[in-house]
Amino acid sequence: MSGTVRATRERASPSRIARRPSRPQLIKASITTVLLLFAFFALPELLSLYYVDTMTQVAVYSMVTLALGLLVGRVGLVSLGQVAVLAIGAWSAARLLFATTQPYPLVLLEAGLITMVAGVLIGLPALRLRGLYLALITLMLAGSITVVLATVNFPNGGHGFLGYNGSLLHIPPIRRPSIAASDPAYFRYSMVVAILMFALVLAHIKTKPGRAWAAIRQSEPAALAAGINIWFYKLWAFALASFITGVAGGVLAGAIHYLYSIGFPTQDSITLLAVTLMGGVFSLWGAVVAGFLYQFLPALLNNWGVSADWLIILFGLGVLQVLTTAPAGLADQVPRDLRRLGRRLRRRPGGDGA
Amino acid sequence: MRRHISTRRTILLAAALGLAAAGCSSSSTASGTGSTPASSSSGSASAGTVSTSSCGSKPGVAATGTPIPLGAIATNQPGTSFTDIPNMAKAYFDCVNANGGINGHPIKLYIATEQTNPAQIAADAKQLVQTDKVVGIVGNTSIIECSVDSSYWQKLGFYIIDSGIAPECYSTPNSAAVNMGPRYSSDGAVQYALAQHVSKVVFDQANVPGTGYIAAGPAALAKAANTPIVQLTENVPITDASSVAIKEVNDAGPNGAVILNFTPPQALVILQAAQKLGLENRVKLWGCSTPCNTDFLAQSLGAKWNGKLFVNAELTPPDGTNTTAMNLYKAILKQYGTSVQGGIGSFSQMGFTEAEIAVHALQSITGPYTVQSVNAAFKAVKDFNTGMLCQLWTYGDYPLHIPNNADYTVTANNGKMTTAQGCTPISAADPQIAQYRSAAGTAANAP
Amino acid sequence: MPPWVNFEPFIVSGLALGGVYALSGVGLVVLYRATGVLYLAFGAVGALGALIAWSLTTRAGAPGWVGWLACVAVAGAVTLGYGLLFGPALAKRDPLIKAVATIGLTLILYGVMDLLWTASGGQARSLTLPTDNGGFTVAQIQVTWTQVIALAAGVVLTAATGAFLRFSKLGTAMRAMANDRDITATLGVPVRRVEAAAWLGCGVLGGIAGLLLADLVALDATTLTFLVISSLAAVLIARLRSITVTFVAAIVIGLLHDLLTPIASLTSYRDMTPFVIAAIGLLVLSRHQVMTQSREEA
Repeated sequence: MSGTVRATRERASPSRIARRPSRPQLIKASITTVLLLFAFFALPELLSLYYVDTMTQVAVYSMVTLALGLLVGRVGLVSLGQVAVLAIGAWSAARLLFATTQPYPLVLLEAGLITMVAGVLIGLPALRLRGLYLALITLMLAGSITVVLATVNFPNGGHGFLGYNGSLLHIPPIRRPSIAASDPAYFRYSMVVAILMFALVLAHIKTKPGRAWAAIRQSEPAALAAGINIWFYKLWAFALASFITGVAGGVLAGAIHYLYSIGFPTQDSITLLAVTLMGGVFSLWGAVVAGFLYQFLPALLNNWGVSADWLIILFGLGVLQVLTTAPAGLADQVPRDLRRLGRRLRRRPGGDGA
Repeated sequence: MRRHISTRRTILLAAALGLAAAGCSSSSTASGTGSTPASSSSGSASAGTVSTSSCGSKPGVAATGTPIPLGAIATNQPGTSFTDIPNMAKAYFDCVNANGGINGHPIKLYIATEQTNPAQIAADAKQLVQTDKVVGIVGNTSIIECSVDSSYWQKLGFYIIDSGIAPECYSTPNSAAVNMGPRYSSDGAVQYALAQHVSKVVFDQANVPGTGYIAAGPAALAKAANTPIVQLTENVPITDASSVAIKEVNDAGPNGAVILNFTPPQALVILQAAQKLGLENRVKLWGCSTPCNTDFLAQSLGAKWNGKLFVNAELTPPDGTNTTAMNLYKAILKQYGTSVQGGIGSFSQMGFTEAEIAVHALQSITGPYTVQSVNAAFKAVKDFNTGMLCQLWTYGDYPLHIPNNADYTVTANNGKMTTAQGCTPISAADPQIAQYRSAAGTAANAP
Repeated sequence: MPPWVNFEPFIVSGLALGGVYALSGVGLVVLYRATGVLYLAFGAVGALGALIAWSLTTRAGAPGWVGWLACVAVAGAVTLGYGLLFGPALAKRDPLIKAVATIGLTLILYGVMDLLWTASGGQARSLTLPTDNGGFTVAQIQVTWTQVIALAAGVVLTAATGAFLRFSKLGTAMRAMANDRDITATLGVPVRRVEAAAWLGCGVLGGIAGLLLADLVALDATTLTFLVISSLAAVLIARLRSITVTFVAAIVIGLLHDLLTPIASLTSYRDMTPFVIAAIGLLVLSRHQVMTQSREEA
């Protein structure tokens, strides 16, 4: 009797269950690797500088949508203030880049940590709220940060804590890392940072925090009953999301060289949520899709002379579509639709009979 | 349930298509690359006493040579759109192309729009240079483009002709503007108020990039006149204009002046709030930088503001000016300017002027049209009479450019803007103006 | 610190601003109580209606009342359409999802408005109502009848809709539906008709508010659409429940915002007032309990 129990316990240990990846997972991993390698090596050579710059923005905002998707999809916390967090990260990075000569990776790390601390401080009291209240209070906090930024402005090489000199005739650009000064090189640099952030999130999902988040998302009372410290894991999600967004802000600062408070309006947080939902909050690929929607599509339309307003309308329609028919977003819907199409095509030759 | 879902999907799709159809047919859609020109009928005098064919060197002969590619970047986002300026420049180029072109070569203007996103602006510049292979930049009008791209243009040797806003449009060697920009236009408005012997100046501006740079101008002028000045900024869009108006009036006092530097809708909101509160008479006068110089604003304000609002005008007022250039401008606008939304006004005037200068420069080029030759020609423009400005316009080889530094003052009168004061140079109390004049001298007034 | 007399005109303008916030805020709470949806597109439909009214009166030369009627009709139609199309599908979902869906509608309307009423050419639009011309003077500044109407509308809305939702049959049916659609249906309430009435009423409210706000604030799509964000502060303090608390909170926020204007060190930050008050208010209100907005709480 005891032998059976011991054997069962052995078979059920997590390390044994997670050992062998299945075939679809291997295929998915290889496709991902191939695509990433292609994007890293080939894309900057194939695309014009206009699109290389755009792809850098895609990389930056994929990190932001990754963070937001983590909060919304994994933990069920809707944040309507992610652009304000991005602004904090960009501000910190810009201040450090102007004030110190620290190497770029260190600045990114510091910007991420500063933003993480800010995120935790804000998240701490806000975590007593749930659902709609939480979403609305993030909107309120984002509105406050936006007003403060409009007065305080982004650092532009001036002195003092704020580092802003309003009377400058020539604003110095924010520096880039020495190994990534050109646009194609900086794209590769931002890709590497993005991959690291995605790996960080993946590591979380596959281990204890990921399971805790899944349990909380499923049912908070049940998770509580299972002994999970809900408050702690929600705070961890906030911290992680803020860290990633802060790092993204640092990469953004180097990408665009000049930061303005009008570039981070409150309504952008709303659009960001729209594209994150459209991309799909339940998979990491959804964050990449969202990044493309948010940055690549506008650049494409801009190039074709189509007004940016059409995109705003498209995002509005997308939100409605996602919420009513496809909660998992494009990242889930497109493969599903393709699979369904594939099944239908495979059925045709047999059942067609003239 | 499945049928329900597909019905909703169909409705969403239909809505999207319907919007697309509506958008395509709506005449008020501002497309980025400009619409196709109206019929380029040669020699037909459609407006004024001037035939549009006088824009080119060979009336009625369409240009068929290899195109000369030029580029422009303009802000186009909800609430702020400057596309009228490059669109009007394009209209002028279309006219020229229909009447001989530049020695038989048509000009092709690539217009890139942006939404105040530095990444996008930098990308637009690279697109114009690398993909569209433009040899010159004419018509840039953007809140931050000069700041973002200035070093890029310097590196490539582009000398751009623009309608400036950001500080770098006026403080770098590679940009010369046809307008005065927010700082010098505000100088003009403040200068007029100081000339009326006000006891205090309140200068209120929108909180967009460059407030410190802009505020330095009026501050210097007020200091030179020994008049106290209060500097204010407001976050835009303004949601509570009443508190703004009360604050301004309180700070100015009964013998003071309130000078505004906002886009037309924001300035209108403040002025209307002041009127509703009954405050328009509580200060000696109200002033405004050039953006207020539109008939839309004058009409919306009405007769209560007669003799109270004095607006700096960077360009010659179109009403009541019967010169060849002004009539040509109106004629081209009517015949070729279908994508210019605002009609007659400072935006389209600026576009006209920039195109005029570019064409004048291009016509002087013998040999191939390359980046070097075109930009050298732009830089060589000297004492050109545009017919739209107080002074003759010069580019020149200077470390900074403020070629338009004399202005009119107009006032709202029964729903229209009428001239209150003729061409007056901006005071050299502004250090930047002094620096420019010491390098370039003072340009002669246009005849 | 400026002398007291400097603050007096700001008390008056602050009350007017409070009236503006109250109009949006009370509208939002009323809609939430009647439909269970936090209708974030409230500002956008109002803006759309106001712009249509502007086009009809200024461009097409129609008389004023035609424009106003069109404004209210369009706002009502758009809201009704949204409610009928998406109301049933989302009825069972969390209030958060329903609110996010209205964000979708907001974006669509915002894009459409900027396409059809562009900002190019330096166009400045304004909507004036005949009540702008009269008024009275308080603390050396004029108060227009429009501002009085806005404030009065807020009060009337608070009292009337509160009573309507509580005491009338239709109002009770609306509240029941907002709470649980299915159970209400089994009780024999004509669910579709009540739903349509609720949404139509919301739209009409949005149209009227849009007209007043376009006159009082600005006729600008961006300003009017995102004015809801500031109005949400009052809504949040009332925890989306009490219409009276929303009204009072809105007035207080408006007053505080304007009273900060003459204080030089704080004046640049005064636009933060709604957000800071909402954040503090919510945190104070939730200090003893976890605040959650479930379906049962409507």
